[in-house]
Amino acid sequence: TVEVEARSLPMELSEKGGVQNNGFVQNEDFEDKETATSSQEETPKTCSVDVDPVAVEETVLKPYAGMPKEVLLQFSSQACYRVTREILFWLVIAGSMVLVCATIAIIALSPKCLDWWQAGPIYQIYPRSFKDSNMDGNGDLKGIQEKLDHITYLNIKTIWITSFFKSPLKDLGYGAEDFYDIDPIFGSMTDFENLIAAIHDKGLKVIMDLIPNHTSDKHRWFQLSRNRTGKYTDYYIWQDCRQAAGSVIPPNNWVSVFGNSSWQFDEVRKQCYFHQFGKEQPDLNFRNPAVQQEIRDIIKFWLGKGVDGFSFGTVKFLLEATHLRDEPPVNKSQNGENIRAYSQLYHDYTTTQVGLHDIIRSFRHTMNEFSREPGRYRFMGSDDDEKEDIEATMMYYGTTFIQEADFPFNFNLINMKNLSGNSIFEAVNSWMKNMPAGKWPNWAVGSPNAARISTRIGKEYINVMNMLLLTLPGTPVTYYGEEIGMENIASENVSEEHVDSGPVVATLPEKSPMQWDGRGNAGFTEGNSSWLPVNSNYESVNVEIQSSWSNSTLGLYRALTLLRSSELPLNRGWMCHVWSDSDVFVFVRELDGLHRAFMMVLNFGHQSTTDLQAVVPSLPSEAVIRLSTHFSNAGEVVNTKLIKTEMGEGLVLEYKTAKPVHTMEAFQGKCFVAEKACYSKALNLLYVNC
Amino acid sequence: MGEENLKRRKGEDKGREDRQSIQSHEPQTMNLQKQANLFLFPFGPCVGLISGICMIVGTIIGSGIFVSPKSVLANVEAVGPCLTIWAACGVLATLGALCFAELGTMITKSGGEYPYLMEAFGPIPAFLFSWTSLLVTKPSSFAIICLSFAEYASAPFYPGCDPPQAVIKCLAAAAIVVITIVNSLSVKLGSYLQNFLTAAKMIIVAVIIVSGIVLLAQGKTDNFKDSFKGSKISVSSISLAFYNGLWAYDGWNQLNYITEELKNPYRNLPLSIIIGIPLVTVCYVLINVSYFTVMTSTELLQSQAVAVTFGDRVLYPASWIVPLFVVFSTLGSANGTCFTAGRLVYVAGREGHVLKILSYISVKHLTPAPAIIFYGIIAIIYIIPGDIDSLINYFSFAVWIFYGLTVLALIVMRFTRKELKRPIKVPIIIPVIVTLVSILLVLAPIISAPELAYLYCTLFILSGLIVYALFVHLKFSWAQKISKPITMHLQMLLEVVPEEEVTE
Repeated sequence: TVEVEARSLPMELSEKGGVQNNGFVQNEDFEDKETATSSQEETPKTCSVDVDPVAVEETVLKPYAGMPKEVLLQFSSQACYRVTREILFWLVIAGSMVLVCATIAIIALSPKCLDWWQAGPIYQIYPRSFKDSNMDGNGDLKGIQEKLDHITYLNIKTIWITSFFKSPLKDLGYGAEDFYDIDPIFGSMTDFENLIAAIHDKGLKVIMDLIPNHTSDKHRWFQLSRNRTGKYTDYYIWQDCRQAAGSVIPPNNWVSVFGNSSWQFDEVRKQCYFHQFGKEQPDLNFRNPAVQQEIRDIIKFWLGKGVDGFSFGTVKFLLEATHLRDEPPVNKSQNGENIRAYSQLYHDYTTTQVGLHDIIRSFRHTMNEFSREPGRYRFMGSDDDEKEDIEATMMYYGTTFIQEADFPFNFNLINMKNLSGNSIFEAVNSWMKNMPAGKWPNWAVGSPNAARISTRIGKEYINVMNMLLLTLPGTPVTYYGEEIGMENIASENVSEEHVDSGPVVATLPEKSPMQWDGRGNAGFTEGNSSWLPVNSNYESVNVEIQSSWSNSTLGLYRALTLLRSSELPLNRGWMCHVWSDSDVFVFVRELDGLHRAFMMVLNFGHQSTTDLQAVVPSLPSEAVIRLSTHFSNAGEVVNTKLIKTEMGEGLVLEYKTAKPVHTMEAFQGKCFVAEKACYSKALNLLYVNC
Repeated sequence: MGEENLKRRKGEDKGREDRQSIQSHEPQTMNLQKQANLFLFPFGPCVGLISGICMIVGTIIGSGIFVSPKSVLANVEAVGPCLTIWAACGVLATLGALCFAELGTMITKSGGEYPYLMEAFGPIPAFLFSWTSLLVTKPSSFAIICLSFAEYASAPFYPGCDPPQAVIKCLAAAAIVVITIVNSLSVKLGSYLQNFLTAAKMIIVAVIIVSGIVLLAQGKTDNFKDSFKGSKISVSSISLAFYNGLWAYDGWNQLNYITEELKNPYRNLPLSIIIGIPLVTVCYVLINVSYFTVMTSTELLQSQAVAVTFGDRVLYPASWIVPLFVVFSTLGSANGTCFTAGRLVYVAGREGHVLKILSYISVKHLTPAPAIIFYGIIAIIYIIPGDIDSLINYFSFAVWIFYGLTVLALIVMRFTRKELKRPIKVPIIIPVIVTLVSILLVLAPIISAPELAYLYCTLFILSGLIVYALFVHLKFSWAQKISKPITMHLQMLLEVVPEEEVTE
């Protein structure tokens, strides 16, 4: 219809214009008459006026610049002008149609763009150890705000701050005393609001921890619940427990994650309450709709503050079987009395119960209410370390019909038993193979609950691990300090005085203060001491010294994040596993339509030489080292038949190919792509359906 | 021989005309005026008070207030001073417009600053003004408005990221071409489009204001408590806030572009200004109040598109109307820019400062088609390169140079041209204030962020002198030799004639 309208325009308009201007219409009529009369004698000649005016003796009138209407109208209707005019007019109309159609076509063919949580790495901050701003030896929110430049310096877009709720546990805030407040050691709510504003001002996003499973026993709800006050009576899981001979006999054999029975007798209520973790962390009763509503209100509160997403921790523990049957022991012969450790039971009745995912979906639903504003999608991650059951983990991705977490955090690279090219391949492959189609992967090499890379697998592998993390498809998650290769502190330095509850001591050595510079306390605090001792290697391992030195772990990290954001194949391209042996892990990243491909050759064993051309025959014989863990090698040309890697060396090779690996028969089933898109060189844009 | 023939012919024409229509010279001029009115003022032949006010309100309110009202808040950081500055900017714009009203009624010529500069300082500053605005400021603002239209229109299809450049540029080019076609084909169609888009703009303004008032009545006044607390007030922050705020009022001199067509200009020009600009001020302040009812100042600063955020919070599930109407509003601004821009070329062409053909009028459609097409082409050229926004931003200070010069012209003429009749005479203090403010606004961005680019802009403006010397002052014959046949052929191709010819 647009076209029809456009066509009818000129005629209609000229009519209207004519009607409006009566004086002109008269003139026009008159002109028409005149041209009509004169045209009889002139027409045969006028067409040549333009071509050869002198030849025509009788020309009475010549067009000239600035000619008035009377003169103009005699000549402008000549075929040479009229036809050109018509052609030009329709060309312009057609041109605008083409432009509009082209726009619509491009929009229709555009792939869904990567959302902010897909576009860049996530930087996980343990706030107590990041930066102290008030000299008390504990890191705080203001400290994070002071150091935001470090995060932008790393080309990172998303900050993940682990739990900072008001909590009596000096350690992690894993049992919140008040979900609506910030622990005083981290600062005030105003500090938090300022931090959020500062983060958003820098164009960054922030996600926070929320552990809905339990609260602290100091929480108001628990205090009201043990007094059986109103609706709070059923906020926790209470059971009668028999008392015999002065000792409490729990309702069943369930044990807590930290060991011993997960039932604790409460003197006030004279009943046992259930706790999956420590006895100071009673489990909320998620079978109670009021409790679910409380959690949704908490979600709304923080989203209203401007938080861009949540990482929901320990969600698999949310529900327990109502029948309270004993869980089957791993070792059948073992006596019920002796079962004290968490690993001695199969947790069929206390984890991942039916209905769990409905609760998480209701959280997602609440978050979606806050996602409507453009550019304000709220991210949801689930943080559950399912070491054995990858399928249970994948459930958190939701289905194509029901949205759940954007991704469950992937700990495959942390849970690896031993390090080799093959084990890396298995860790990567198990995620990629099991991930539901159309979902987005993610990777982490460090976390607050695992020893730091340098300590876990060795200092010499820190660079190659970062290279792996930042070249795999999906969102990389970096635990603070991994970008400079921090190490655990010696565990004897972590004394009881630092914590109230025992089991978390084990995870403290990887939470030592961030090493900013070579000054006292590594620049973490201006105060005399820090809550955990600073690692003694801070004089050589710190941000300041490494940023002045391009061959450093930090320098490589930055180069990798920069490469990742500037190269489309690394951003959203195919990933094909090419080769792995006990030493090296080799994969390519490529994008349809782009002839530039990247091949990562990562050494997780010992010095080795790989013949890549034998694996991929179409590989060009030479490739350029785009980046290397040995910085000086960058830019060198290597022979793809003979690629030598040192222990812990990683190479990002760049080459041009017309036959990408993912199209090859031999690599069917070894390639994965999330958010598939193809590149059009001519238009410099991405499109789908290719 | 040809010349003679021509003269004879023309004589004949005159004779015949006389015979045909009993009215001769006098009505002929009236026809011209009617014709000029037609394209110079699209809101119909009666350019009364109401249409004057509509024109002011319609052109000043662009898309800025919906998208980035935060520039003022960002500088003062508190609600109270922010609203105060918005109101103060309105007062300042009114003062500026009053100066222009004096000039407009003293020198009743269309073309905005051009005739005043001509009258006060002679042809060179006037030429520099048209040189800069013809080649840079006007077409680039046309291009930029079309680009931002394209951005808003395509943004809903790309949630979470920026639309690809190809989409934005295609859509912007399409908008330029369509607006150019519409405006060169028919004044009426152009004005219908303008009226529709202005109506859309006013609807969304009304929706935002009314829902804001409703929210206020419901007691959502939290953000107005202690509204001066935490404000950051210093000379530099206030002058930068003014600088940004006044941009939202840009367009207050629009009425001076059409002085010739105003009905009873001595009454209507100042009245339109005195009613129109405060009306805009009230709208702006109320829109800001509405925003603050649902957003804290931090949220407002962080929002990518403030009106869209407002719509999401207040109008859900009908929140889609906000982006739709913002798109309409942007398109309206683009159409309006094309419209006034056309007039400027036309006037400069009339004075012989640009190629004459640009001032010609289409015989069939009675539109200044060459001027509009010229703008369309320049604007399309501007959208082709990668990133023009930054360059154009540097040129924005040039606009204030010419505003300042124009108001200075007013002061100068109080002394040099005492004999001129001044139906409106503003107190001399007003132009003095406006001149001082202009100087401040020219210097503020340069001092706060000195860049070499400002020097290039100044050099570009001064390079107009060379062009002036070569083509206007010396009138090289070879230039004429080239321009004449081009003019002739283009005239025949586009069917355009000089306006003056009819009057002879």
